[in-house]
Amino acid sequence: MANRPANVRFTKTHEWVRLEGTTAVVGITDFAVEHLGELVFVDLPSKGKKVGKGETLAEVESVKAVGEVYAPLAGEILEVNAGLANDQTPLAKDPFATGWLAKLKVAAGTKLDDLMDVAAYQKHLDAGGN
Amino acid sequence: MRKTPLNAAHVEAKARLVDFHGWEMPVQYQGILEEVKQVRAHAGIFDLCHMGRLVITGPDREALVERVFSSNLGKMKLGKAKYGFLLNEQGFPNDDVIVYRGADVVHIVINAGNRDRDDAWVREQCATRRYRATVANVSDEQAMIAIQGRDSEATLQPLCSADLSQLGYYAFTEAQVLGLPMLIARTGYTGEDGFELFPAKEHGRRLWDALLGAGKPFGVCPIGLGARDALRLEAGMPLYGNEIELDINPLEAGLDFGLDLTKDDTIGIPALRAIKAKGLSRRLVSFVAHSGRVPRHGYELFDGANKLGMIASGAASPTVGKNIGTGFVPLSHTAVGTKFEMDVRGSRQPVEVVQGPFYKRAR
Repeated sequence: MANRPANVRFTKTHEWVRLEGTTAVVGITDFAVEHLGELVFVDLPSKGKKVGKGETLAEVESVKAVGEVYAPLAGEILEVNAGLANDQTPLAKDPFATGWLAKLKVAAGTKLDDLMDVAAYQKHLDAGGN
Repeated sequence: MRKTPLNAAHVEAKARLVDFHGWEMPVQYQGILEEVKQVRAHAGIFDLCHMGRLVITGPDREALVERVFSSNLGKMKLGKAKYGFLLNEQGFPNDDVIVYRGADVVHIVINAGNRDRDDAWVREQCATRRYRATVANVSDEQAMIAIQGRDSEATLQPLCSADLSQLGYYAFTEAQVLGLPMLIARTGYTGEDGFELFPAKEHGRRLWDALLGAGKPFGVCPIGLGARDALRLEAGMPLYGNEIELDINPLEAGLDFGLDLTKDDTIGIPALRAIKAKGLSRRLVSFVAHSGRVPRHGYELFDGANKLGMIASGAASPTVGKNIGTGFVPLSHTAVGTKFEMDVRGSRQPVEVVQGPFYKRAR
């Protein structure tokens, strides 16, 4: 089983998010990466773009399919992991750290209580992950 | 889901299995890109047991095949194979097929997804014309395994009774492999040299394992449907359901080499002559995407606000090193170098028409 960090929260659609004050770092999980297969491109949002919760944040292209990444929370794009457009290795090998996708500025006091912790996410995967 | 006689081998090899026209088939083993590279550099083997095979015998077998097959059986030498279509009356393909002309038998290899329809169609034409021919569907009695890639002959020869150096491209022979009688054809769907083998179903696994063993020096490994699709697209070969369909005719797809338009008594040929005389409104083009986005079947093509047509097939091509595709566009947009856009889920990405095929092996 993958080594998933305890300080992130998970969505049912396999995104993860970590709060650092009013900055939310967002990525996709090892399960999502494994499911997509060989990655060939990552389409990231532009800086300053505002996304609503559940809206498409990024699209990850694999050889077989396109995976949509949904924003786990609302915010404004502060920064993206632009290098992933050319080299997807960090995302493939290290999705919870160097493979992060975007940093969002979120409202002060934002809580992630509606998202799963690492144990709940594992249960979600054990139940099929759908 | 239906399983081929090689299903256990795929499970043991930890293949990723998917539903392909009702069959549980391996889409990949170690990875699609790696598998494509292996076939281009050396060789790999493919489980094709899901494909359909009809065997036509009887005194009128050739008359029946001429009636349903778009190419010209009578012009084929015995022991040769040819690509063509089973056309409907309107000139559109029920399927694309390979026909093998034997001395007293004709074999037809048909697509997995069209097995039942083709079988019924050929039998119906046989009955309508009262041909003295027997149509046997041996799809479930025979296995079908391909080995494709430049090291195919070196892998297969030590196992095989026939001198494979004497077997030409698109030729076939009856011979023994591992002492087992089977049809061996120098055909394939990858753009590489290679063979397709048709052993009895119960010998499929033994042949599979023997090919892997004999191919070890060349790294021969099993190749999934994902790589198979990329290989055939790189080589400019059509896929039924993408480049041809019940509403896409072979002329639009540029597959004239599978047609003999001079035939008079072949279903669909007169209709295609009329379509050709009237002129086509669209044609299939090959294109590369100047984008990291991968072209995919069903994406729309645009020139500004003007919708041109649809993408038939697309792939990230490890051989070309680019994202490649095929699509249908009006004749005005078919010239090499023409630029237009594909719509990737709302974002427009530039593509450019190129001369196909994307890959041609050196001979």
